[in-house]
Amino acid sequence: MKIKILTFAQTRAQLGFSEMEFECSSDETPREIFRRLAPQFDPGKTIRVAVNQEYADWDRPVGNAFELALIPPVSGG
Amino acid sequence: MKTHIEFTRAPIVPPPPQSGSREIGAVLEFSGVVRELEDGRKIPGLQYEAYEPMARAQLDKIFAELAAKHPCEEIYFIHRLGFVPVGEASLFIRISAGHRQPALALMAELIDRLKTDVPVWKLSNVLH
Repeated sequence: MKIKILTFAQTRAQLGFSEMEFECSSDETPREIFRRLAPQFDPGKTIRVAVNQEYADWDRPVGNAFELALIPPVSGG
Repeated sequence: MKTHIEFTRAPIVPPPPQSGSREIGAVLEFSGVVRELEDGRKIPGLQYEAYEPMARAQLDKIFAELAAKHPCEEIYFIHRLGFVPVGEASLFIRISAGHRQPALALMAELIDRLKTDVPVWKLSNVLH
């Protein structure tokens, strides 16, 4: 299946794109998907992941998700 | 509770006071304004970006959670995106409630939650 991947703020600079489609399977976790997509990228403890626009677990399979987003520490206001 | 969430690339225009309920005893407004000094150096302004659909969903969730603790009548929320020059507002929140205590408590907690959970970013190192 294809999933849309979005990056914001410093993660966009780190990965070098803001949006792309990526081929993955429903039993892959966000961590595994990013490891294939960008082996040099390490989310560490501060970058969160969102699946279908909700905060999600890095190690839970994405299922039939349509969108995966990297959420670096937020700073609105 | 009535809510309004808006992301705009234009300068924020505070909405006119709403009419309606005669039971509103407290109307609290907060503006977050861009300061000239960021980490000790002068900046022309800040660039803001948002993951807008998720930011809206998070705000809806946070509003509902906070309103259960601090009953209010209305939250009017505007966040500006794109370049915001020094001295202009990046954020406007108006809370209307029967009494001041829930309005003040909700406002304080909402701004805290905005700064931890809502996917909006300011990018100070981006030059206009």
